[in-house]
Amino acid sequence: MSDDVLVVDSLVRRFGDLTAVDEVSFRIAPGETYGLLGPNGAGKTTTISMVAGLIAADSGTVTVAGLAMTPRTTEPKRFLGLVPQELAIYPDLTGRENLALFGRLQGLRGTELKGRVDEVLTLIGLADRAKDRSKEYSGGMRRRLNIGIGLLNRPTLLILDEPTVGVDPQSRNAILESVEALSGEGMAVLYTTHYMEEAERLCDRIGIIDSGRLQAEGTRDELVRLTGGVDTIRLGGTGDLAGAAEELRRIPGVERVEAERRTAVLTVRDAPALVAQVVGTAAARGVTLADVEIARPDLESVFLHLTGKGLRD
Amino acid sequence: MRQLLALTGSDLLQRLRDKSVVIFALAVPMALMSVFNLVFGQADDIEIEPVTVAVSVPAGDDLAAVLSDVLRSLDGDELDVTVEEVDVSTGRRQVEDGDAALALLVPDGFGPAARSGEAVTVEAVRGDEAGLGADIVLSVVDGFLDRVAAGAVTARAGLAEGVAPTDIEALVEQATDGGPAYDLARGEASDEQLDAGAALVAGQAGLFLLFTVSFGVTGLLVDRESGTLARLRSMPIPGWLVVASKALVSFVLGAVATGILLGLGGYLFDADFGSVPAVAVLVLCATAAGTSVMFLIVRVARTSEQAGIATSIVALVLGIGGGAFFPVSAAGSFAWVLDLNPVAALLRGLGTTSGGGGLGDIGVPVAIMLGFVVVMLVVARLVPDRGVLS
Repeated sequence: MSDDVLVVDSLVRRFGDLTAVDEVSFRIAPGETYGLLGPNGAGKTTTISMVAGLIAADSGTVTVAGLAMTPRTTEPKRFLGLVPQELAIYPDLTGRENLALFGRLQGLRGTELKGRVDEVLTLIGLADRAKDRSKEYSGGMRRRLNIGIGLLNRPTLLILDEPTVGVDPQSRNAILESVEALSGEGMAVLYTTHYMEEAERLCDRIGIIDSGRLQAEGTRDELVRLTGGVDTIRLGGTGDLAGAAEELRRIPGVERVEAERRTAVLTVRDAPALVAQVVGTAAARGVTLADVEIARPDLESVFLHLTGKGLRD
Repeated sequence: MRQLLALTGSDLLQRLRDKSVVIFALAVPMALMSVFNLVFGQADDIEIEPVTVAVSVPAGDDLAAVLSDVLRSLDGDELDVTVEEVDVSTGRRQVEDGDAALALLVPDGFGPAARSGEAVTVEAVRGDEAGLGADIVLSVVDGFLDRVAAGAVTARAGLAEGVAPTDIEALVEQATDGGPAYDLARGEASDEQLDAGAALVAGQAGLFLLFTVSFGVTGLLVDRESGTLARLRSMPIPGWLVVASKALVSFVLGAVATGILLGLGGYLFDADFGSVPAVAVLVLCATAAGTSVMFLIVRVARTSEQAGIATSIVALVLGIGGGAFFPVSAAGSFAWVLDLNPVAALLRGLGTTSGGGGLGDIGVPVAIMLGFVVVMLVVARLVPDRGVLS
């Protein structure tokens, strides 16, 4: 039997003629943060809806803490904390009442319930506003309460569905720090996002999903290697850039040079190590450089490489 | 059970806090009751003003004198009639001056003409200010003249058949004085008939019950739109518990609001619905019927807005069809359909209890409402689900 907190195996879900999730498989180990990275409509939310037991899969299985998850099962949901993309809180209840309600539904009672509610209120920084109705909270405070509800039962697996959508930069940073802290405490986290920076910062492993299919998965570095691992140096300026191209190609480590009258793009092995030599060579050929730009492969490039389109397309 | 109570209690708390339930379930129907009571509430208490009738009767005409006697006999507890025997010109003047509401001018030779079967005209002059009392007097005079006309027809027929004049007179008197072949007994309205005030209160309570119960079950759609339904489904609770809690919220809100409306409305508008246990059973059954409609609505509505529109349509159709605003009557199979309306059944049951009926007398309306629940739940299971109850 696997020690993995979550095992998703060959998950398929169709809506009419559309296959929203197509043979998706991945695993998450205890303490690991796994990111599902993909553009809107890629199948992220449908995947986590099946993982959380909200909708049934047409085929494939989801196992949470060793228990099969379906919409009708309740036992595996005891190990789960879900933070939906929407603000799934009741605006006419106070922060404390919201937490207490969902705590009761998770089976907490009495002093244990009160203790957990107090702990979570402190964790999300709402202890002093606990008696205010949540409709009186700012957007960031509501977002924190939304996350806090997912933490009440100290879940083995925390699912966060694009928790930073529509959040101001300050609150966004606070949310990311919270997720980092939770992961540090040994909680397995499934994090969906279409923000490359969030996936790079938070996730131990990343699954790149598009059109319902998991295109690739691995650590950031493993994914970047899929692109060939080459950097680019882009030069812009006046002078004979086309004439300088021949000498630039002769620099060891430069694999390719594409030059036009005012720009040249160099494909290189290690851009930071070569940039000084490249700039010097161009200057020696009488080129006056206006800008130099180094681009290293990131998840955006990986996505582009795998799907032929950008994350925000 | 603990989780069901937690969900239900939390939902009820929210409904009370957002005040829309209080407004729609109590304030609006009470306001409408007040308005309707102001507009229609006086219908049962019409006061008929005293009527003075100036009658010109030819001297020595015993048949015309009978008309005067008939008019005098109208004077009683419910109708105040004063008969003044005057000549023709005085009668006309009194009506023109407003001293009499009505003048009845019987021509000379009225009695003999009627007995011999000749046509005869009694002139009635109605004053401009004459009211309902004068119309009642006129209808009585009309009835009297019908009888006289029957005598005239008898006389003509006798003459045509060669009956002796002495015998004809007897026949005419028999036709004129003889009573009808039927007897109309005056009694109370049906036991199932509410008086105007009680019908107003019960009708509005029945109508708004359908709006009130929508705050529970259709809350599922609001929860779906806000994302809380997804969160609830991720909890370690069976799926039916969420639906059951919403149904319970509908039921509690509907029963409490209807109970308050009937109690408060009855107190304010002087309506007595009778046996409290029987009324309670009727309210609970009507609430169950209203709640069952909501299950159908959440099956077919995609959004809370659609559900709100559907609720309004259903409430108005069932409310108007059930007699929430005014009594509705129909014939044939349509009448049968109207009888199966839970609002009509509630009003019918309350009519029974207000007439002194108890638990044993409300079997039919209770059966109709519970039957309605079963039909709605079956239909709700059969119609294609758009997601919220799946």
